[in-house]
Parts: sequence; C-alpha cells; structure tokens
Amino acid sequence: MLDILIYGAVISAVYALLAVGFTLIFGVARILNLAHGAFYALGAYCVYTLTANLHVPLVVAAIIAVLLVALFGIAMERVLVRPLRRLPPLAVLMMTLAVGLMVEQILLLIFGSEARNVPSLVESSFNFGGVLLSGQRLLAFFCSVAILGGLWLFMQHTRLGAAILAVSQDPEGARYMGIPSDRIFSIVMGLSAAIAAAAGVLVAPFQSVIPGMGLLPLVKAFAIVIVGGLGSIPGSIVGALLLGYTETIVAFKASIEWSQIVSVAAVLIVLIIRPAGFFGKRAAF
Amino acid sequence: MLAWGSLSKTDVIAAIAVIALLAVAPLVGSRYIVGIMTVALCYAIWATSWDFMSGLTGRENFGHALFIGTGAYTAGFLNVSFGLSPCWGFPAAAIVAVLFSLVIGIPTLRLRGPYFALAMLSGAVVMQKLSIIFSETTGGQDGLNGLSPMLRSQVSAYYFTLAALVVTVIVLKFIALSPWGTILRAIRGDEATCQAAGINVNFYKISALMISAAFAGFGGALYANYQLQVGPDLFDVALSINIIIMVYVGGMGSIYGAVGGALLLIGLTEGLRSFSEYRLWVYTLILILILFFIPNGVIAPAWVRLREWIKGRGALFTRRASA
Amino acid sequence: MSALLEVEGLTKRFGGLTAVKHVSFALEPGEITGILGPNGAGKTTLFNLLTGFMRPDRGAIAFDGAPLIGVAPHRIVNRGLARTFQLTRPFIGMTVVENVIVGCLAPRVRAEGHTEVRARDMLDRVGLGSKADLMVDALSYGDLRRLEIARELVTRPKLLLLDEPFAGLGTSEIEPLAALIRELHKSEGLTILIIEHRLREFMQLVRRVIAMDFGEIIATGTPNEIVRHPRVVEAYIGRGGDDLEARLGVATEVVRGTA
Repeated sequence: MLDILIYGAVISAVYALLAVGFTLIFGVARILNLAHGAFYALGAYCVYTLTANLHVPLVVAAIIAVLLVALFGIAMERVLVRPLRRLPPLAVLMMTLAVGLMVEQILLLIFGSEARNVPSLVESSFNFGGVLLSGQRLLAFFCSVAILGGLWLFMQHTRLGAAILAVSQDPEGARYMGIPSDRIFSIVMGLSAAIAAAAGVLVAPFQSVIPGMGLLPLVKAFAIVIVGGLGSIPGSIVGALLLGYTETIVAFKASIEWSQIVSVAAVLIVLIIRPAGFFGKRAAF
Repeated sequence: MLAWGSLSKTDVIAAIAVIALLAVAPLVGSRYIVGIMTVALCYAIWATSWDFMSGLTGRENFGHALFIGTGAYTAGFLNVSFGLSPCWGFPAAAIVAVLFSLVIGIPTLRLRGPYFALAMLSGAVVMQKLSIIFSETTGGQDGLNGLSPMLRSQVSAYYFTLAALVVTVIVLKFIALSPWGTILRAIRGDEATCQAAGINVNFYKISALMISAAFAGFGGALYANYQLQVGPDLFDVALSINIIIMVYVGGMGSIYGAVGGALLLIGLTEGLRSFSEYRLWVYTLILILILFFIPNGVIAPAWVRLREWIKGRGALFTRRASA
Repeated sequence: MSALLEVEGLTKRFGGLTAVKHVSFALEPGEITGILGPNGAGKTTLFNLLTGFMRPDRGAIAFDGAPLIGVAPHRIVNRGLARTFQLTRPFIGMTVVENVIVGCLAPRVRAEGHTEVRARDMLDRVGLGSKADLMVDALSYGDLRRLEIARELVTRPKLLLLDEPFAGLGTSEIEPLAALIRELHKSEGLTILIIEHRLREFMQLVRRVIAMDFGEIIATGTPNEIVRHPRVVEAYIGRGGDDLEARLGVATEVVRGTA
C-alpha cells in the first residue's frame, strides 16, 4: 500500500509537469503542441551531451539544458508557428507534429538508437517504512512539485503572470490593453518547453534516453490534459494524479502491460462520461 | 476551405489517365517497385477512407489504425487460425471493422475536436496493447504469420489492390458528391445549425464513421494478404498519424487528394533512399516545408488550378475550331 | 380551434439560477407574436426548451397536439417547428445555395426533390438570389440572417421561432428584414414567434407581445399596451435609465405617455 502511494506520487508528479506545460500553451495560445514530447526528449539529450561530452557538472548542465530547450521552443513558435496562426488550427497542429518528428529524426541521426546513460544527481536510495526509493526518483518528485509551485506563484504574483492570464482569457482584449499578445505567446511557449525539458532532465537518469522517448509522454500529457480539461491547470494536476495512480495501482496488482491498457481505457471512459473533461472549457478545433 | 463538390469531364479524363498510368506500372517497373506501389495503394485506400469521414465532417480521427488493424487481424485469423480461403477475409474484415466503429463511435458521438481525436486514439492504443498481451491468440509482437495468399502472383495482387482502390474512390467520391456528402460538409460547418435544419446529425456522423471503417478494414485485409503477415504495428499511432499527414498533404476533403498524398509521400520515402540514414530526416524536412508553404495541400489544390487552365485552353480550342 | 403551440408551467434551472420560471402561454395558428425582455430574461433559454436543445426541469409543451418534451431537436424541426439562432453560424466552406439545400434535405421535405431549384427559389424570395453561388463567408450579417430564414423556410415549418433577428444589424438593414418577415408571414401563412429586446421593431411587426423578466412572464398584450405596462417599464427603467430609449428602441415620449 505504501509502495503504491509513494511510487504513484513520483509518477504523478512528473506527469503533472508534462501535462501542465502542455495545457499552458493550449490555454494561452490555443495551440495543441505535438512537439511537446520533443522538448522532453531534448531536455534529456542536452543534459546527456553536456555531461558526457562536455563534462559540465550535472546541476549546471540541467539548467543549461532547460534554457536551451526553452530557446528552441521560442524559436519554433516565432519561425514556424506564428506565420500559420491565421490558418485553421489543424495547420499549426500538423506543423508541431512535423517538428516533433524532425527532432526525433535528428536525435536518431546524431545519437543512434541505443539508450544513453545520464548520471544521477543523488546516487543513494532511501527507505520509507520498508519501501525503497532511489534518490533520483525522490529528487524528481520534489523538483516537480517545486517547479509547479513556482509556476503557480509566478502566475499569481508577477505582472508577467497576470499578463499571461489576461491573454489566455482574451488575446484581443489583452492587446487593446497594451499587452503584447504575440510576445506572450512566445514566452509561454518557452515556459512550456522549459517545463517539459525539466521533466526530461529529471527522469533521464532512470528512464531510457532514446530518440523516441517523447512519444509516449506526449500521448499521456495529451490524455491527461484532455481528461482534466483543456486549458485548466488544476485539471491537469488532477488528471495527472488520476493517471499516475491508476497506472501504479494496476502495475503493482497486475502487470506493467495491463497498467498501460487500463490507463488508456480510463481516459476513454472519462471522455465518454464527461465530453469536455473534468474542468474543460472550449475545444481547440 | 475550397469547395470540392462537383465533377467535370476533365476530372473523369484525368482520373482515367491516372488509373491507366498505375495499371501500366507492373509492366515497366521491377518487382521491387511493384511491391512498394502495392503498399502505397493500400495506404491510398486507408487515406481515402479517412478523408471521407474526417475530411468531410471535420471530426479528425486520430485512431484510424483501429479499423486497419481490426480488418487485418480478422483476415489473418480467418486465414491462419481457421484455415478459410482468403476470399472470406475481405468482407469479414469490413464487417468486423464496422462493428468496432459502432462500439467506439456511438459513445463518442458528442465528443468534439481534440476530445474526439483522443478518444479514437485511445481506442487504437487499447487494441494494440491487447493484441500484444493476448499473445497466445494473436502472436503478440510477432503477430500472425504464414497467411496463405489469395492470388499467386505479385502482379495480380497489385491489380487486385488497384481495382479495390478505384472502387473505393468511386464509391466514396460518389457519396461525397451526393446530398449525403452535402450533409456531411454541413456537419463540419456547424452541428447545431444542421440539427436546426432538421438533419439527424448523429445518424450521419456514425454512418460516416462506419463507411470509413469498412473501407479501412478492407484495406487492412488487402495489406495482410499482400504481406502475408499481421502485426500490432497495424494499430500503431504512427500509422494513424502518417495517414493524416498523407491526407493533409493531398488536400483534405477532396477524396482523390488523399490518393495523391499517399502516393506522393510513399514515393518520397522511396525516392530518398539514396540519402540512406538521412532519409527520414530529409523526409520530415520536406514535410515541414510543405506544411509551411502549401498548407492547403499539394495535390488537390494543384489539380483544381490545372483543371481551370485546361478548361481555359480547351475553350480556346473549341472556339478556334468553330471559327 | 386548438392552439398550435401550448406551453404549460415550463421551468428550467441552471445550478442556483432559475432561467425560466413557470412560463405558460399559447400560440394560435397564423399569429405573429413577440417575446420581449431585457438581456438575461430567459428568452433564448425558452427557445432552446421549445426546440429540444435543452430539456425543461418541469412543465409541458404541446405542438400541434403532440407533446414535445424529450424529442430530439431535428425531429422537432421535422414536425414543423423551426428556429433561427441569435448567433448565426452558417455552414462555412459551402456556398449560399448549398446552405439552403441542406434544409431541403430534411426528411420532412426531402421527398419533394428538386432541392437546388427549391433552394434558389427561396433565396430569391428572401432577396439573396444574386448571391446564391457565393461562399457564405462573403455575406454580411443581415444577409446571413436572411440565409438562415431561407434555410428554415424550406423545411416548410408551421411555426417559426426567430431569435433576435435584428441584433447587430445596422438601421438600414433592419427595416428590409422586418418587411421580409411581414411578407413571409402573409404569404406562407406561418405562425411566427420573435424574440427581441428592442421594442421599435415589434411595434410594427407583432400583434401580441409576451413580456418576460427574470425568467417569468410579467405581462401580455398588444405592443401599445405593453409599452405602457408598469411592470414592463419598471423592468427596463429599473436597469438604469439613461439608455432607456436604446433599450426599448422607442422614444421616451411614447413610454411616458406624452407622445
């Protein structure tokens, strides 16, 4: 029981990180960013390259990786997404999809398909009432919670955060008030990419770092966000807890394969019962 | 969004020309090329069936592979496990795919946009995982192998697939051009307004999905009979996504654009073989360029322009002749 | 002569808010009636209840003698009850004539065939004949309203509900549209129920007005009676008097009885 509680918490925290980033860019810019998984993978690979090839200390590498991916996200938004905004939303969706595919291909070309090793920051394991948890997993949990908490504080207590909230409610209205909506879109994309990259950095030591590592997290983030309600941050957190714990419970009681099915089936059932998710607002397209 | 709702003599002539070109292929191409083209034609059937449902009604289905895999496995089971003649696999595949479309389509009728997309995607993922878990029945990751082929030669398999594609396009385009198709496009426009016009929107949504599933399942059976094996990759997200990309590049809602998109993209992946390991990277790069510069699709808009040009020239010709 | 539409004790709640409260009225065939009320009075909710887009919590609706509650919206249309929407959303990506053809495909009228001919005829009747082959996104707001009326009329309704047909229209577009409605009422023998919150158009168009506020019917009568009815005046003035004229669309003199 305790093991489910603890492992579920770790998984849910990382899922929450991924989902919140995904729902953030949707809530603000109405973009379903299918390159989100690519940001996650890039975070992991950046950390790998910085530590393995350039011998940068792990913590510094982590920070640099997150910043680099944030810049990449901003560049993607400026160069490839913004010109397509006046087209039907499907155009932007397809473009982000293509970018995600492109990133995966480039990673495959540069690094090959073998899993890469990223060292853990915390080597030791900890004992919680009989449950053994690796230090890195514990770190992932606390960092995720800290990042989410920091994001919440940022949104609530800074001018930029208020501007972002304003744009998410009404981009036109915000523009009339002098808020540069376009620039906000870029900033939020960078923020979303940074959060996804942070997730990638945190899990890299214990997940397989392969070029295709972003696909499943993307699908899960997509599912969580939709179940929680597109554009709703609390919804994403609730959804992440739901998915994380469902997977953990089934994985412990049955098997890993069944846990994947049950979580996907749960998504389907929620959609059938609540067509707009738990806290959902309007759909993108 | 361009209106595709009419068929002219020029269209028919062009279609016949394309079919003729495709029919000639086995005579000039190598065995290898014919094999690739057979696969491309299967993709064309899948893409066309996707376009019929999602291109017309605007409800993007991100789990089309569900119907493909279902059709393929049905054909595979009847062939391998029950030892029936492969002929039975085709109608069975379509029927089973339609049944699955009802199972997932009815509960998801009121879902919109990304919610519908995700629900369909989930359906395909569930089936994929189930086919791996129940490996005793389904062969797990390796799938079903050793299907006995229906047609002995590769060339006759190719012509059979081509015939199936022609029938698919004719039937689906015919429906699309009929009042049925008008209603489907109206559903894309606005569902509430459609209901207020007295139309039973749910009926048309579910029947579009069923028709789409039938042809996709049939295509799955075709593919299974060609490859002589069936695996869980036929339920894969990547397959669903690739098909969407093909239709998008071909021009959504046109039906025939999907054929062009499938042939174009498969041709592209083949043509880039000389790039060896850079192949897929160049492919996605070209894809990005297409999505950026030609977001309305390549095939259908190009054909519409070409057709206008031809008509213009043709009018000139007849005027001169009568002068 | 039994009424075409009979509404009895209709009630609809949204959480803590009662949008429609015990609404009862009847419409005789051939009447042209208006529903008047400030924003939030529950008028559109009433339309949604009558047309099956929402289910009432309490009450009964009978159309042409048959109960209407629980019947799906498209089936209600096929019984002869058509409606337009306050926010016109046409079938984008299609031409004007195609938009009307969809209405011709409703089961109620489908057997008549000749869908394109009928559609073009109707477009001529509403004054959009010359624009039949344009894409809908080329139409102005006023034209979109006419298009919607055309689409509903081809389903040969007995009762037509118009939800704020004049909303958002410029002064030059309102009178022609009102004239069209008047003409269609006469020629088609329709029963019409119009929602508006501006009185000016009603004065010339409707015979009887049902006034609503906060979900309830507060008065019924002819337009002249309604405009002087104390509860109606209070409902409008009580909302902040400085744009009384704009709200009612009628000169203050008329309201105050000094005209």
